[in-house]
Amino acid sequence: MQALAQSLARFLAPISRISLWIAASGLIVMTVMVAWQVFARKVLNDSPSWTEPGALLLMSWFILLGGAVGVRDGEHMGFEIGLHYAPAPLRFAMKLTTHVLIVLFGLYMTVYGWQLTEKTWGAKMAGISIPQGMDYLPLVVGGVLIALFAFENLVNQLARGADTVVNAPGAPASAAVE
Amino acid sequence: MELWILFGSFTVLLLIGMPVAFCLGISSLSTVLYMGLPPVIVFQQINSGMNAFSMMAIPFFIFAGDLMIRGGIAERLINFAASMVGHVRGGLGQVNVVTCTLFGGISGSAVADASAVGGIMIPQMKARGYDADYAVNVTANAAIIALLIPPSHNMIIYSLSAGGNLSIADLFTAGIVPGLMLCGALMIAAYVVAVRRGYPAGVFPGMPTVLRTLAIATPGILLIGIIFGGIRSGWFTATESSCIALIYSLLVAAFVYRELGWRDFLEATQGAVRTTAMVLLVIGAAGAFGWLMAFLQVPQTTVAAMKTVSDDPYTVLLMINAILLVLGTFMDMAPMIIICTPIFLPVVTAFGVDPIHFGVILILNAGIGLNTPPVGSVQFVACAVGKISIGESMKTIWPFYGASVAVLLLVTYVPAFSLWLPSVFK
Repeated sequence: MQALAQSLARFLAPISRISLWIAASGLIVMTVMVAWQVFARKVLNDSPSWTEPGALLLMSWFILLGGAVGVRDGEHMGFEIGLHYAPAPLRFAMKLTTHVLIVLFGLYMTVYGWQLTEKTWGAKMAGISIPQGMDYLPLVVGGVLIALFAFENLVNQLARGADTVVNAPGAPASAAVE
Repeated sequence: MELWILFGSFTVLLLIGMPVAFCLGISSLSTVLYMGLPPVIVFQQINSGMNAFSMMAIPFFIFAGDLMIRGGIAERLINFAASMVGHVRGGLGQVNVVTCTLFGGISGSAVADASAVGGIMIPQMKARGYDADYAVNVTANAAIIALLIPPSHNMIIYSLSAGGNLSIADLFTAGIVPGLMLCGALMIAAYVVAVRRGYPAGVFPGMPTVLRTLAIATPGILLIGIIFGGIRSGWFTATESSCIALIYSLLVAAFVYRELGWRDFLEATQGAVRTTAMVLLVIGAAGAFGWLMAFLQVPQTTVAAMKTVSDDPYTVLLMINAILLVLGTFMDMAPMIIICTPIFLPVVTAFGVDPIHFGVILILNAGIGLNTPPVGSVQFVACAVGKISIGESMKTIWPFYGASVAVLLLVTYVPAFSLWLPSVFK
């Protein structure tokens, strides 16, 4: 189990880093697009039709890639007091259940995201000349990554056993939105 | 039965520590599977839940706020506030409240407020003989003002959770008077406690200093005007104004104050992804959950249930306030808004409460919840900065709770505090 955990980490750490950087670049390109939209409308008197659907498409990638990385790094908002006060064996079971269910959910997301992509590939998006199916592709890639990262968490949990310490309830990274 | 599966699985998953986004997604998926509907619906709804243009304002505002902290905009606002009210008895407490209000006017995040303002003010207050618990409690409570003063991305989350039809400009405007009321109430509470504890008064630095610090802080203050004026006049949408705020703070931090390096910028970008992608995923997943709630007629059922309890809107609002305060003690703000809005908004509108008014009530409630253990992220941050325990903060936080709850009740029962200002602009 330890060996599997290590090789998974070697394989997934760069993928997670790349995903994070793609998401971050997406955020910057989104900013540029929306800024261009304002500039074009106010200064050039010409509202571009592609900026809004383009930025929305990037946002889907941003959310799903960033969200997947959050699964790996354990940064999602949740209710951690139960974990904190549960006895070690129960906590172990709670953690395992969580990881297994997220793997399954990621797989469902991949399969049905792919179905949606295929079905809508023929049509064009409004305002921008790319296949509508592109809109669902982030679900497919995000689903795969979520399943992979949750699987890694599961393996790590099994490798560490039941006596891992859970952080005290505090401020997760996403607390900054509050 | 479907409802039991939806809410039952959601609650169980939440209790075992599953992240909220996945609680929403998995409970929706299980319900759809049980009902024999095609599972693809869940993912279609999640996808459309992530497809609102106004959602983009959330990462932009968060990103901009982080750049303002790293780029020295926050610090200059503090200097300006200090020159104005630093001479009042217990002056640094007053400075703290005013700065949180000003900074809230550019960042919109209570946690950013607590860490940015607290990070500078709390050590200073301690060095000048103020007790740590006082410094922490003033900061933590004043940070909540940021949620009410525009730009508040939590108002955007509320507008999205309400179906995206509520005017963000109206919501932003509605928060101003309650935000200023909270500022006033906390200044009074801070003053009373300061007098009791015998904190010293500072020396008024003189008008020239006030004007000089104002001039230096002007780029930050100007931003408040750009954001609010731009959205209110209809020049930009909320998303566009958040994008302008982002570019503006980047330019000010990098070229006017010259405090933002390339490394800071990259860190801020990564930070924005890490903090906001999670929240947006919750909003997306709530798309599926909300669709099911509507499909299963949860709002209608809740309205009917509430009507059997009471016919009086004031009683219903009091009950909802109590429920929200309790939920707020252990729920994070964004998930709370996202989950509670589709349940309670139909109820209060059935009793004649304006959705804009309810938005202010909900956000103030959730905001107070950020300062209550066991899950109080603002209190947590402020205590960490002040190096005291949550328990120590709790012993003396009561005057500040009192001020906040008084404002909450006033805002709840006098709709004009929220609705008057938006009506002026119509």
